Amino acid sequence: MKQRIMALSRKKWFSMAVWIFALVCVWEIGASVVAGTKRSPENILPHLYQIAVAAFSPEPVSAGMSAAAVVLTSAGATLLRALLGFACGTVLGFALALLMQLSGIVEKLVFPYLMLIQLIPVLGLAPIILSITGDINQSRIVIAAVLSFYPVAANTLAGFQSVEKEKYDLMYTYAARKSVIYKKILIPSAIPYFFTGLKIAAPMAVTASILVDTLQGDGGLGCMLSQSLKHAMSIYVFWLIVFFSAFIGIFSGYLMGRLELLVSPEKRKPRKAQKRKGN
Amino acid sequence: MSGKEEKEVEISIRDVGVAFCDNAGNHVQALTGVNLDIYKGEFVALLGPSGCGKTTLLRSVCDLQEVTEGEIRISGKTPGEIRLEQKFGFVFQQPVLLSWRTVKKNVELPLEIMYYSKADRSKRADEMLQMVGLSDFADHYPGQLSGGMQQRANIARAFGLRPDILLMDEPFSALDEFTKEKLHMDLLQIWSETNKTILFVTHNIQEAVLLSDRVCVLSPHPGRLSAVVDIDLPRDRTLEMKETAHFNELVSKVRNSFEGGSV
Ligand SMILES: Nc1ncnc2c1ncn2[C@@H]1O[C@H](COP(=O)(O)OP(=O)(O)OP(=O)(O)O)[C@@H](O)[C@H]1O
Ligand SMILES: [Mg+2]
Repeated sequence: MKQRIMALSRKKWFSMAVWIFALVCVWEIGASVVAGTKRSPENILPHLYQIAVAAFSPEPVSAGMSAAAVVLTSAGATLLRALLGFACGTVLGFALALLMQLSGIVEKLVFPYLMLIQLIPVLGLAPIILSITGDINQSRIVIAAVLSFYPVAANTLAGFQSVEKEKYDLMYTYAARKSVIYKKILIPSAIPYFFTGLKIAAPMAVTASILVDTLQGDGGLGCMLSQSLKHAMSIYVFWLIVFFSAFIGIFSGYLMGRLELLVSPEKRKPRKAQKRKGN
Repeated sequence: MSGKEEKEVEISIRDVGVAFCDNAGNHVQALTGVNLDIYKGEFVALLGPSGCGKTTLLRSVCDLQEVTEGEIRISGKTPGEIRLEQKFGFVFQQPVLLSWRTVKKNVELPLEIMYYSKADRSKRADEMLQMVGLSDFADHYPGQLSGGMQQRANIARAFGLRPDILLMDEPFSALDEFTKEKLHMDLLQIWSETNKTILFVTHNIQEAVLLSDRVCVLSPHPGRLSAVVDIDLPRDRTLEMKETAHFNELVSKVRNSFEGGSV
């Protein structure tokens, strides 16, 4: 019996199930306490089934749309921009890392100040970008790009710098040209680090885009979120968005992991012959 | 090798010294006053205890290490010029494999860099993997191989290149006895077929005697060439030669040439 449990605990889905179960328990205990003590418990912590009911109820909450429809349409607006910004940030981040690797001067000039971008709070940066671009969609893209840019650039640069001296020595004996060394050694070495950057950046781009939404009443997840909080529509829209964005955030990170496996076959676990002992 | 007068000096090492400055600013003399002529097509073994500068000498020959005294000439050119002509192959002491490439793709790496056609690369790599006994692992990644298997892939990569000058830094020391003996014979086979120059670092006396035309014995502190022993065993060496009296005589001769006795 004990062995069984040990074997089970090594499975990935098992630990995930335990976590989800624990979270649901804590949530429900909290919800019960809140329900017993507060006057409008759904504003603080509703029961999970109430949120589920809200997700599937066809009752219109805003402009004739059901809660789920509101979330999904506004998600489209936000996530598309998050994705665009993320893509731009990724490309720029990789390019800058390459530039810093190619030129020590660029690295010394740029790298210390890159961190500053990261230190400016998005809440402060967003209105500035909005007033410059004057367009909420462009601002979403720019903010998502700014936030994804740094983790990608910093991680990719670390990847370039992780290449051992022995590999340079090997390429030196072949008298390989610089472009060949980049193509065959440096860029492949940086790929795992690049993906670490992507895994950090992807959820950040989503969060950033939602934050930018709250600045203007033009739709988007963040906008609905604040309207719902201000009781302009059912509070359950808020809860749905919370869950939905959490899911998207986690999913975006997961997606990057899958993408990495696609790009780097050596990271795939070799399919071992299943050892099964009857017990 | 017949008649000395036919031999053409390929690598000429003149009064070579290499000094390092370590982090504490101390001066370390890794090599001093090394004089050696290596002939075209010769198989030379560099033998010596750990830290006597074998790797340093090998690295100096292929321009990985600058000499601080004297000079090295290869066919009248500097090591740097020869390197740019892509005439070196170097088997490092540690297998330097690229983890994101399969074993076969690792073997193909230098061939890619030197613009061999895809078909040639594949054929050459298959032959070499067959030779080192890794055919079944061609599509594995280095991370899935044992240390000895990685080293065999490393050797296959250097053999596949067929460089004019092959520099090998203790290529077989991580291998088991059986694989080692097989690869000794394979190395000699490749060498006799292609007639390239080989500089082979080892600290195994038997190995040095079995493989080489000459054994160069290095001594430490500071690293210097203390003796050169001609190995006059007939060519087409076989593993059985190890049993002969003459082989053992040569081994003793090399052992006795170490300053201060045994290694
Ligand atoms: N990059 C370096 N910086 C400082 N000292 C070095 C450097 N490389 C080698 N040395 C010194 O030079 C000496 C010779 O080193 P080398 O690596 O050539 O020895 P080796 O004969 O190859 O030894 P082993 O059999 O252990 O590989 C050593 O004393 C070592 O400390
Ligand atoms: Mg060495």
